[in-house]
Amino acid sequence: MPKHYRPPGKKKEGNAAKYITRTKAVHHLQVSLPTFRKLCILKGIFPREPKKKVEGNHKTYYHMKDIAFLAHEPLLEKFRDIRAHKRKVKKALARKNRDLADRLLNRQPTYKLDRLILERYPTFVDALRDLDDCLTMVHLFAALPAVGGERIQVPQIHNCRRLSHEWQAYISRTHSLRKTFISVKGIYYQAEVEGQKITWLTPHALQQVLTEDVDFNVMLTFLEFYEALLGFVNFKLYHSINVKYPPLLDPRLEALAAELYALCRYVSAAPERQLGDSRAISSPENEQSEDKKVDAQTDESDLRLAQLQHQLPANEPGTLMHLVEDATAADDEDNETKDCKNLFKNLKFFLSREVPRESLLFIIPAFGGMVSWEGDGSPFKESDEDITHQIVDRPTQGHMFLSREYVQPQWVFDCVNARIILPTEAYLVGRVPPPHLSPFVDNEEEGYVPEYAETIKRLQAAASKHVLPMPGLESGDLDDAQNLLAEGIIDRAEASEAAEKKQKLAILEKQYHDELNMELQGITYSASLSNKNLQSSVEDVQEDAPADSEQMEKDARDLSMVSMTRKKRRLYEAMQISRERKKANVNILEERKKKAHASKKE
Amino acid sequence: MPAAMAKSLAASKKKADRVEQEEPEEPSENGFVREYGDQEEESERSDAVGSSEDERSSGEGEKDGKDDGKIHQSSEESDSSEDEVAPRNTIGEVPLEWYKDEEHIGYDITGKKIRKHARKDKIDSFLAGVDDSKNWRKIYDEYNDEEVELTREEIRIIRRLLKGRTPHAEVDPYAPYVDWFDWEDKGHPLSNAPEPKRRFIPSKWEQKKVVQYVRAIRKGLIKFDKPKEEPPFYLLWGDDSSVAENKRHGLSYIPAPKPKLAGHEESYNPSIEYIPTQEEINSYQLMFEEDRPKFIPRRYESLRSVPAYENALKEGFDRCLDLYLCPRTRKKRINIDPESLRPKLPSKKDLKPYPLTCYLEYRGHSGPVNSISIEVSGQWIASGSTDGMVRIWEVETGRCLRVWDIGEAVQHIAWNPLPELPILAVSAGHEVHLLNTGLGDAEEKMHIKELLHVEEVLTDDAGNSASAVSWVQHEKHDGITLKHLKTVSTVEWHRKGDYFTTVMPSGDSRAVLIHQLSKKHTANPIKKLRAPAVSAVFHPTRPFFFISTKKNVRVYDLSKNKLIKKLEPGLREVSSIAIHPGGDNVIVGSKEGKMCWFDMDLSSQPYKRLPAHPKDITNVAFHRSYPLFASCSDDCTAYVFHGMVYSDLNQNPLIVPLEILHGHTSSNGRGVLDCKFHPRQPWLFTAGADSVIKLYCH
Repeated sequence: MPKHYRPPGKKKEGNAAKYITRTKAVHHLQVSLPTFRKLCILKGIFPREPKKKVEGNHKTYYHMKDIAFLAHEPLLEKFRDIRAHKRKVKKALARKNRDLADRLLNRQPTYKLDRLILERYPTFVDALRDLDDCLTMVHLFAALPAVGGERIQVPQIHNCRRLSHEWQAYISRTHSLRKTFISVKGIYYQAEVEGQKITWLTPHALQQVLTEDVDFNVMLTFLEFYEALLGFVNFKLYHSINVKYPPLLDPRLEALAAELYALCRYVSAAPERQLGDSRAISSPENEQSEDKKVDAQTDESDLRLAQLQHQLPANEPGTLMHLVEDATAADDEDNETKDCKNLFKNLKFFLSREVPRESLLFIIPAFGGMVSWEGDGSPFKESDEDITHQIVDRPTQGHMFLSREYVQPQWVFDCVNARIILPTEAYLVGRVPPPHLSPFVDNEEEGYVPEYAETIKRLQAAASKHVLPMPGLESGDLDDAQNLLAEGIIDRAEASEAAEKKQKLAILEKQYHDELNMELQGITYSASLSNKNLQSSVEDVQEDAPADSEQMEKDARDLSMVSMTRKKRRLYEAMQISRERKKANVNILEERKKKAHASKKE
Repeated sequence: MPAAMAKSLAASKKKADRVEQEEPEEPSENGFVREYGDQEEESERSDAVGSSEDERSSGEGEKDGKDDGKIHQSSEESDSSEDEVAPRNTIGEVPLEWYKDEEHIGYDITGKKIRKHARKDKIDSFLAGVDDSKNWRKIYDEYNDEEVELTREEIRIIRRLLKGRTPHAEVDPYAPYVDWFDWEDKGHPLSNAPEPKRRFIPSKWEQKKVVQYVRAIRKGLIKFDKPKEEPPFYLLWGDDSSVAENKRHGLSYIPAPKPKLAGHEESYNPSIEYIPTQEEINSYQLMFEEDRPKFIPRRYESLRSVPAYENALKEGFDRCLDLYLCPRTRKKRINIDPESLRPKLPSKKDLKPYPLTCYLEYRGHSGPVNSISIEVSGQWIASGSTDGMVRIWEVETGRCLRVWDIGEAVQHIAWNPLPELPILAVSAGHEVHLLNTGLGDAEEKMHIKELLHVEEVLTDDAGNSASAVSWVQHEKHDGITLKHLKTVSTVEWHRKGDYFTTVMPSGDSRAVLIHQLSKKHTANPIKKLRAPAVSAVFHPTRPFFFISTKKNVRVYDLSKNKLIKKLEPGLREVSSIAIHPGGDNVIVGSKEGKMCWFDMDLSSQPYKRLPAHPKDITNVAFHRSYPLFASCSDDCTAYVFHGMVYSDLNQNPLIVPLEILHGHTSSNGRGVLDCKFHPRQPWLFTAGADSVIKLYCH
């Protein structure tokens, strides 16, 4: 076939043909800009940077193939249908044709995003890789006020809450949470699912402000996609641990805003359910409570309850632990998961009223602990004797049980990051806790190690040494172990101090002996002085040596700079600059630290 | 008539009832008013209440029979009220102003003038008003020119009007509408026309519509039930094993970069060193907006005191914008150790020997040593300094053999390259001196003496022929003086020791001169240079002559007397030049601290630029036998390079920086002024502005 004739001057090759500006793309697709935006967001199409910007520097360019991809999208037709449908309804209403309007409203055209998700994430791992933004967004919307009349629909917020809890329940159940961090912006979590590190941020459980400078249309479009994505991801994850999705929750717990706990119970109960579905679960008190519930609920929830009766395990607190232990039988887990699972093993936590319940209810079970809270539906009460730690966030604690430790919530987070049970002294009620450090920072690479990080490192080292039970110490008591750790550290510190003192003493002693010798030899004081000067001069020479080596290093660097090509030299210099900037930052930190110490001493 | 009467009666009855209903409200209304009313109105209101009570009692009394009569009366009164009082004024509806100056306001029926009342004094009227307790309800009627006293009723009406109500209390403006017409059993249609036929036959269009609907319903086009809801989620990624199927379509996907993770400073409780002081926070205000830190760390004592983050939604939104609006490209991020950028140099051990450490210092000059020169045998070194002294030192011992006092700052100094002619050429000021060093055996001395003798006649000849230079016997010392017109900067010998060249940078067309010692003759072969000359050197083997101007290096063939090559170093200002003993390679030092290596066979562009020094390069030098070259600079250092030139033309010269030689100290902003290699040993001599000459040995 002959090539099509292209009029001269019309460059339809290269960048001019490959890329199209946004305005042109919108015209090309014959849609409105908001629809185009929505399509792009749902399809995951983003502008690309052409090598040469033919139409101008300040414009947004899309690849022509991307736009062609959009043009063939069935969703485009669907959006047009929706638009036409809306117009029909409007027209019917305007004609007071209520029947037609109702009939039309009954059958609104809808679309599903499953095909798009599969298209964007052909494998499950791809989806997990891109899940960070999704989780952050869903958690953010889950924390927004569910008030009618705002821009965001209430059911959407509830859906976000549900999805986020389902995700957390899965993470908690599989013990795949790795790092947590309380920042000013919220709480960061990092989990590892199928080898992918997924980090997300949840806002603090406080009333969020709906700001005006935000375009909710854009955010809601993203949210729409993310909700679908997270739903499918959750389905897949629940499927992988043999749990039915969507989960059916205990309505009583749900009503008490303890969905996460309800979910956890559901999730962890599932394997057992499969094992012994026929087994009748009937402890008398359980039935009693069930009866109460039935009374309380309306007719429509009866059916659901009937289902639940099969699913709910016994209501006593021990069940959860049993189940968890059952799960340990499956030894297909890696070492880290085992570590995580056993961190809070045999520990029982109780959360006071003022503690942010959601995050701790998520974290503590994820690391193998048992947790309860003050309020209805909690698995065990505050007066339980077995509770080892009570999480408290108040200036003073009135009544204290001697059998448990009263710690601030930060202790849990620090323990999780350090993967050891830290000594609780610094975290007790009413004290200012030690600094909370980010687990996402590589201190060595940054060049600055905060003081507390070093302490934690030492504790970790000590813990790894003391993991084996010491001979002559029969223990399983964790408190003892902690005390041991603390003592060990103190001992070490004392030892190092003592060593320093010894050195000083030795030096003094030597000096004294020298002087004695001199006296014996009959050297006058002035002579000895000159002698000293000599020595000092020798020392000077020695001091010069490091300076020389410095000079040599610099020389070597200069020499190599001479023989570098210009490109490499520039690159090297740029790297040097960035390195120096980093160093300057570290210097600032160190200076501040010094100042702080100085002011403390004063 | 009787029917109408009955109706009016009924109406009146209803009206009365309504009044009755309204009356209980009255006191409360008054009570409401009382709160805001004046003291003066008080009495009146109590009167009004009394009257209303009277009315009520009367209403109750007359309820049975009298009421209709009374109402008739009242209605009559209201009708006649306008007729009753005829206006006194008879001027009609004309502006009163027209009668302003008249005494009358119209005429009465008898034709007499109706007189205006005498105008009262203000004080009188006021006093009258004070006495009269009813004064407040008196109004002056301007039209009729009389005072009217308002009745109680009238005042009540005014009050009601002021409050925005109906003037009469008994009128209900919002009374329910009573439809007097009985619709039900009235058999009278509105229209008397007969019913049309179309009312009795079924509609064709309706039928058509129905048929349409029925068809649509049968076909399933119209559905009444809601569509069934499918479960929203299912196992989307069944198994990932079919990799070929699971491939992304379209262009390559560039995943968005993940948001930066939080560092220590974002903690709710960071360590103290992460919290900036107040001064630092204030200093942020002085920064540019984009340099300013986005996030200022804060410390909260406990978790409960952490507030909600106000930018949470905004940051989420920004991230969304980034995701769908930011163009994405794959960028290669160089994540390498910067040390790996440094080239792998051949190990220095293999390139030995080269000057490494300072072995000897020659002290004696009292000013910066401008120039040094080593005798061909390598036994003697001559140095010239700005204090006007020329010294000869023994290289190995550092002993000063001879001193000449030239009297002027020595610019340049050069030994004759012939070992049997130990003559020293010294340029100082406008003069070039050829000094007899007195070395060598007796025969040589004789020869030199002969050579350095200038006859008087010869000087005149020289003066005539060259006119730029005059050859004169040196007065003080044993030697010849060449007097130039301008300051001479450099003196260089030809390899055969008979010719030497001098450069006068400001000499214009006579900038570069070539002198012949044996004939005491001066020539000026190169007239045009275009730029100030810096130095001139002879080619070591061929009859070529290099002149470096500030911009470039010009190569002349002396035998043909023409320019054969121009080397373009592309540097700002050339300061020195040195020729490789092979003659094919040239190095040029510049005042910006860069050095250029030219391969003459290759191109007129430099083969390599070596940015060695941060300051001006003062001199460059090649070793005569070892593959070494050096540069010295005002930054008090001298660089030693390995510069191997291969005889194979295909192989490029190998240049390796070897060593940086320190030791000199800066004086007056100048560092090392000259460097020269020992002719046989890999030793380097450097002359510094600190009046010291140093010898670096391997």
